[in-house]
Amino acid sequence: MEPSIIDFIYKRKQLLVEKWLEEVESVTQDSAITRIPEDIYSETNREFIDVIVNTLHVSPEEAKERLRSFVERLIHIGWPLSYFTRGLQAFRRVILEEMKENTQAEQAFSTFGEVENWIDGIVNQLVDEYTGSWENTLNLQKLALKELSAPLIPVFSHISVMPLIGTIDTERAKLIMENLLEGIIEHRSQVVLIDITGVPVVDTMVAHHIIQAAEAVRLVGAECILVGIRPEIAQTIVNLGIDLGKFPTKSTLRKGIESGLEVTNKKIVEIE
Amino acid sequence: MRVPILKLHNYLLISVQVELDDQTALQFQEDLLSKIHKEGSTGVVIDLTSVEMIDSFIAKVLGEVVEMSNLMGAKVVLTGIQPAVAITLIDMGIKLEEVPTALDLEQGLEKLQQELEG
Amino acid sequence: MSSQSCVEVHTEWGIVSARQAGRNKAKEIGFGNVDQARITTAISELARNIYLYAEKGEICIGEVSEMGGAGVKKGLQITAKDVGPGIDNIREVMADGFTTSGGLGAGLPGVKRLMDHFDIESTSGEGTTITAIKWLR
Repeated sequence: MEPSIIDFIYKRKQLLVEKWLEEVESVTQDSAITRIPEDIYSETNREFIDVIVNTLHVSPEEAKERLRSFVERLIHIGWPLSYFTRGLQAFRRVILEEMKENTQAEQAFSTFGEVENWIDGIVNQLVDEYTGSWENTLNLQKLALKELSAPLIPVFSHISVMPLIGTIDTERAKLIMENLLEGIIEHRSQVVLIDITGVPVVDTMVAHHIIQAAEAVRLVGAECILVGIRPEIAQTIVNLGIDLGKFPTKSTLRKGIESGLEVTNKKIVEIE
Repeated sequence: MRVPILKLHNYLLISVQVELDDQTALQFQEDLLSKIHKEGSTGVVIDLTSVEMIDSFIAKVLGEVVEMSNLMGAKVVLTGIQPAVAITLIDMGIKLEEVPTALDLEQGLEKLQQELEG
Repeated sequence: MSSQSCVEVHTEWGIVSARQAGRNKAKEIGFGNVDQARITTAISELARNIYLYAEKGEICIGEVSEMGGAGVKKGLQITAKDVGPGIDNIREVMADGFTTSGGLGAGLPGVKRLMDHFDIESTSGEGTTITAIKWLR
């Protein structure tokens, strides 16, 4: 940026900050911000404006870095992005207002352009930082979901249970299928009970995934019993016209285990 | 290249260790059928543990082998289909519904015994 | 596309070498066990179609990348090109169970399901080009 403009801003720093603080008060109406205590809010305001103005007299890399560490901290405590974008809009208004009064018309255009570029750069970086952090969080959550996805639990020799919990989408269904089949090989299971007690909705899509899993289980050489069918699930399955007739179903895990024992020629007896 | 066929009492055991190209698969079909004819076998276990890929052609040949063997009085069990292979087959919509399966050679033999005796 | 290798398919052995090339590339890109099997099987189906219906053509395998919402994603692209008779009835051949060879009729629709992206272009009497991509998860 032109040294004359930096100079211009620096000379009036105090005045600009005061005006901006006034302006930014109106932003306080935002609901997410009203929850922030008064003293922290005004302290952050001062820090924010300092960081912005200070970006002018250091190298671009340095400026970026300072802004990043400041923003990172605020992202961490859940500060809303709208605070920054509105704050910067206000700052731009304040500067341009000030310049209008103190600059000749012929200079005004190029100066305005420079200021716009400067502020836009900051806005872009802020948005990038925020999106980056959101994507990060999203990926972490996806990973966490994957981890608790679908364990195959061996209960007796040759009998395993896979409890399914939560909504099943295509990506999860693929993962479940892989876990299921790898687990069958690992535990040498002849019978797997897929427990859908924890699946809130069974629509055609979910049923399709379950049927495919059962067919794949058969191909690797084991048998699949679907258990945990609640009344409302039975109703939707029939109402949607889904044909689960090809593989056995049981209402509860317990009944499933009983028929699993039967298939593997086992029986539980009471000791007298 | 030929797939070796082993005889064990009334059964025939096949462990497919080579990559199945079309010619090998068809040759195998022929070899197995004549062996069943020659030995009068009542059961066949085809172990696919080392097979990394089954496409629609190989699947068709396998399905036909099972059907043909049944016609000749020999029950066939496929064993050791790998998870990745099973998933791929299901993705393709190939279910091999009429074909009995088992986890491994041991369980395959047990299954044959059960079906033949029961 | 950064690197691409092509295998000519005019014998049955071409089918085998095409799928070996596919498996190697899939491993190199970092695909898991299951996706490797999906890719190899898709290549096998495409190569067999060339062999059965066009007699001569080639399968090219290469790495592709694309900018997405979550950064750059990598993938494997299969291009199957032949100068055969072409396909007049694309809609029919993409239907499950349709076959002219006595096969299972799972070939092309199967490839579409195995891969993430599937594109077919065919001109009667000139030939067919099929492009399919699998993205790294």
